[in-house]
Amino acid sequence: MMVMKLHCCRHLREDNNKYLEYLECLKYLKLKGNMSEILIKGPITPEIISGKLAELGNRKETGGHSIFLGQVRADIIDGKEVTAIEYSAYENMVSAEAGQILGKISNDYSDVRSAEVLHSVGLVRAGEISLFVIVSAGHRDHAIRACTELVELIKQRLPVWKKEIFEDDSHRWTADSQTIR
Amino acid sequence: MKISVLFFGVLTDVAGTGTKFYIDVKNLDDLKIRIYDDFPEMAHYNFRVSVNNEITADNPDLNDGDEVALLPPFAGG
Repeated sequence: MMVMKLHCCRHLREDNNKYLEYLECLKYLKLKGNMSEILIKGPITPEIISGKLAELGNRKETGGHSIFLGQVRADIIDGKEVTAIEYSAYENMVSAEAGQILGKISNDYSDVRSAEVLHSVGLVRAGEISLFVIVSAGHRDHAIRACTELVELIKQRLPVWKKEIFEDDSHRWTADSQTIR
Repeated sequence: MKISVLFFGVLTDVAGTGTKFYIDVKNLDDLKIRIYDDFPEMAHYNFRVSVNNEITADNPDLNDGDEVALLPPFAGG
């Protein structure tokens, strides 16, 4: 799991050889092209989220957790309401990119102990949750700042696309995926 | 030799499919010409290209079994 990867990274930081082994491990996962564990079919349900929160009770080394939840908005576009978003992803590339993003967060925020990302693929209705990000750190400062940066990196670098579905079953690819001319 | 091409985002609508195979393609520029021939509309869209999961702006030679993906701007979250 991504949590484990980042968690290991923190403890191995002082031991350069083991850190290099960890990087090799990431490379192995990339080469293996494993199905990303961050992609969830359909919405990220309250049950999934509460399960993640329940796991925090096992932690003793963290002083703060910063959580971001992305929700599907019922935008009105040209008079029509968005009823759902259909997410699609380049799954192999999501795995590789997520590893790099989490590695960057680990390097840039020394107090971060773990981070995890869940992202929906498939249909998510308006009001449902499509993105779950949690960053755990020794203290709140790095937890909050690293979470903000992680969300930005996900939006910039994760190969995911969204199709807005309207009440009349027509659809539109979101503005940032549109034609350049 | 056979190359698989994956279309994502709005480009799946343009191509009318998520995957298409091309044979006897020398390099990436050659493949792009073939794709634009098949889907002239594709030229109106902004996208990057990856070969075997690595985004590239170069013109690498392509080999049997390579996977090329056309990636419109990402829109996750």
